[in-house]
Amino acid sequence: MTARFKYAIPLGVAIAILLILWMSLRLTPSQLPSPLLNKPLPDFKLKELNEQQWVSSHDLTGHITILNIWASWCEACLAEHTQLLKLSQNKQIQIVGLNYKDNSTAAEHWLQNYGNPYSIIGFDHDGQVGFKLGVYGTPETFIIDKQGIIRYKHIGPIDEAVYNKEIKPLIEQLTSEHDYG
Amino acid sequence: MLPELGNFAVMLAFSLALVQGTVPAIGLKRKSTSLIAIASTAALAQWLMLMIAFVILIKSLVDNDITVLYVLNQVNASLPLLYRIGAAWGGHEGSLLFWCLLTSTWTLGFALLRQRLKKHTSTYILVVLGWLNAGYILFLLTTSNPFVRFFPTVPIKPLGLTPVLQDPGLLFHPPLLYLGYVGFIVGFAFAIAALIEGKLDKDWCLALRPWIALSWVLLTIGIVVGSWWAYRELGWGGWWAWDPVENASLLPWLAATALLHSLFVSEINGEFKGWTILLTILCFALSLLGTFLVRSGVLVSVHTFALDPKRGIFLLLILAVIFVSAMLLYMLRMSRMTSPHYFKLLSKQTFLLLNTVIILVAIMTILLGTLYPIVLESIGLGRISVGAPYYNVVFIPIIVPLLLIMGLGPITHYQQDALSRLRNKLLPPLLISLGVTTMVIYSLPGFHWMALLGIFLAIWLITSTALSLRWPLNLRQTAMVLAHAGIAIVILAITITSNYSISRFVKISAQEPVILGQTHVTLTGQHSTHNANFTANILQFSISETNKPTLTVNTALREYPDNQSSLMKPGINYNFWRDIYIAIGNAYDDGSYAVRLYVKPFVRWIWLGGLLVALGGLLTVIRGYREDK
Repeated sequence: MTARFKYAIPLGVAIAILLILWMSLRLTPSQLPSPLLNKPLPDFKLKELNEQQWVSSHDLTGHITILNIWASWCEACLAEHTQLLKLSQNKQIQIVGLNYKDNSTAAEHWLQNYGNPYSIIGFDHDGQVGFKLGVYGTPETFIIDKQGIIRYKHIGPIDEAVYNKEIKPLIEQLTSEHDYG
Repeated sequence: MLPELGNFAVMLAFSLALVQGTVPAIGLKRKSTSLIAIASTAALAQWLMLMIAFVILIKSLVDNDITVLYVLNQVNASLPLLYRIGAAWGGHEGSLLFWCLLTSTWTLGFALLRQRLKKHTSTYILVVLGWLNAGYILFLLTTSNPFVRFFPTVPIKPLGLTPVLQDPGLLFHPPLLYLGYVGFIVGFAFAIAALIEGKLDKDWCLALRPWIALSWVLLTIGIVVGSWWAYRELGWGGWWAWDPVENASLLPWLAATALLHSLFVSEINGEFKGWTILLTILCFALSLLGTFLVRSGVLVSVHTFALDPKRGIFLLLILAVIFVSAMLLYMLRMSRMTSPHYFKLLSKQTFLLLNTVIILVAIMTILLGTLYPIVLESIGLGRISVGAPYYNVVFIPIIVPLLLIMGLGPITHYQQDALSRLRNKLLPPLLISLGVTTMVIYSLPGFHWMALLGIFLAIWLITSTALSLRWPLNLRQTAMVLAHAGIAIVILAITITSNYSISRFVKISAQEPVILGQTHVTLTGQHSTHNANFTANILQFSISETNKPTLTVNTALREYPDNQSSLMKPGINYNFWRDIYIAIGNAYDDGSYAVRLYVKPFVRWIWLGGLLVALGGLLTVIRGYREDK
């Protein structure tokens, strides 16, 4: 082992660890492809938040649906809340909330405080439906077309940039698809 | 207005950090003392700016200025004052500002107390620190600004600080831990300066040691307080969970422990230079890695902050720039810095070196356990989680030789020792510890092989250290004795508490005693109290042990209406020898409760031992300060 080579070992180890960390980051960013992309929404059935009715995956077809996974304990959810409230003004889409691993009273209070953009909210207390959807954490957002196919997934809060660059064009595209279809 | 001022102060601090990173370097090149002198001034001004920003953040929290998003997320009107201040480091953005302030504090400290080093060495160190601070502050400004405003369209009632954080622990644990973590930045700057200059001498070692020792002491206390906080707050009666974030604090602690020992040798006669430099860089690398793991959202744990992918990428970029350049520098320069090699195989140096290597193996093992799930997931093999069972299994083979050698080191001479002398010296502690262990095991209820091993190692460490001493003790020896005895006590406590704790999960009704070992626990009553920002349902338990007076312990279920969440405060009765720990779960309709009961012998000794270790470190800091005079 030459001297130079010996002194290069730490560099090699450092680069290897950095590579692992870089790979790990690729797991969490919002561009993470979901295996469910362009597949039908998995079947599920849930109680509505603080209601007696049920909500099922069938309620999500027939509309352009934004399925937003949120919880009252999630700080990042508050960051995207204004975007969702803005989106709820658009009557051609429905926004469905999936209240993830939350306390129902806390969730109710949260909505009273910050405003409720959702037309329906499923109460996924134990995270079973979130598991089926491959949810990593809150917030996550799916866009589902009229046929019930998942067309888009975003992990993390929706900010102005994500909204303008990705969500708005997709919704416009889906709306026009429906006009012709 | 004030938050904008805070933002502006942070920007100024950024510019000042850049000044500190460039102007003195130019000064060195042009041999201009006035330019070199700017380093200290810039460090002071930068510290002032960050202090102003931090005070403004605290003021916004205290005044409940909810147009600041961070304030909105952290506090609400009913939160007590102390926790409002604590909230300044309770969330991601605030804690990052605090982090920058602490880095700057260490920088300032170094700028003021650097008598021993030559002017150009200390200037290089300040230049490196300037660049590092600039990187941190840029991270703060671009991804995690605590002064961002938020003007809601609908009236908002903030949720406030998570109840788990509303505990005196919040006021001590994060600041101590951060101070310790952040301090290794000084060591890193030392290492880079030594590599740039191609020189590592006795003065360098003596100047570095107090900085590392002080960080190490703070980190030790931070870890101890964190362990105690988790124990009394999280309600599962555990004091260490091998949670990724706990590991992230343990890694730099281990590296710094190895470094302190390697420094002892380097400072005596210049051996282990390359090793010392590597360990110095490793300390800082591991503390940054910890930050990355916690703040990027890569790992999910009880400590998780809000998730934002941009932060992860930025942090990784900082990590990459710092370490690839440091390691390149190491590769290019280290081959020219020769270390002398005086010691023979049987010597104190061999044992010290061996133990630093064992510590490095421990670091690698923890790192593997922490990173392995990530690797597995990124190559598409699914999610797994490496938990306590992995660490408990792999740690025993590492810790056994470590403790055996810890006992050998102090007895052995520097440079060269004779096997025959060593044999005579080792026999008494070996016999004493075997005897004492037999007695202790005999007096304990039940026999466990693990207990035998752990108790023997702890007593071996204590006796061999005690018999190696020559009176009167100097400061150096006292520091070593305290730290090593602390470790022995921690090992003893962990062994006893993990092998002899008893627990029971039961449904408990009023006035019906439940038996746990020698202890009878009865639910005697309950009442409600109203406090500043929560109401508590307090369950009263009476505890009677054989031949002892009856004790009362209160366990509380707290409801925080403004946070819309609840918290269970376990009831703990403690004395020197054992803890009785009562945690309540569900309430049943018939007025009974699901309860977990534990009797944990010696659990407090874990933290006492930890504090003793820190005290040993503190003496090392004081010793460095004295030698500086």
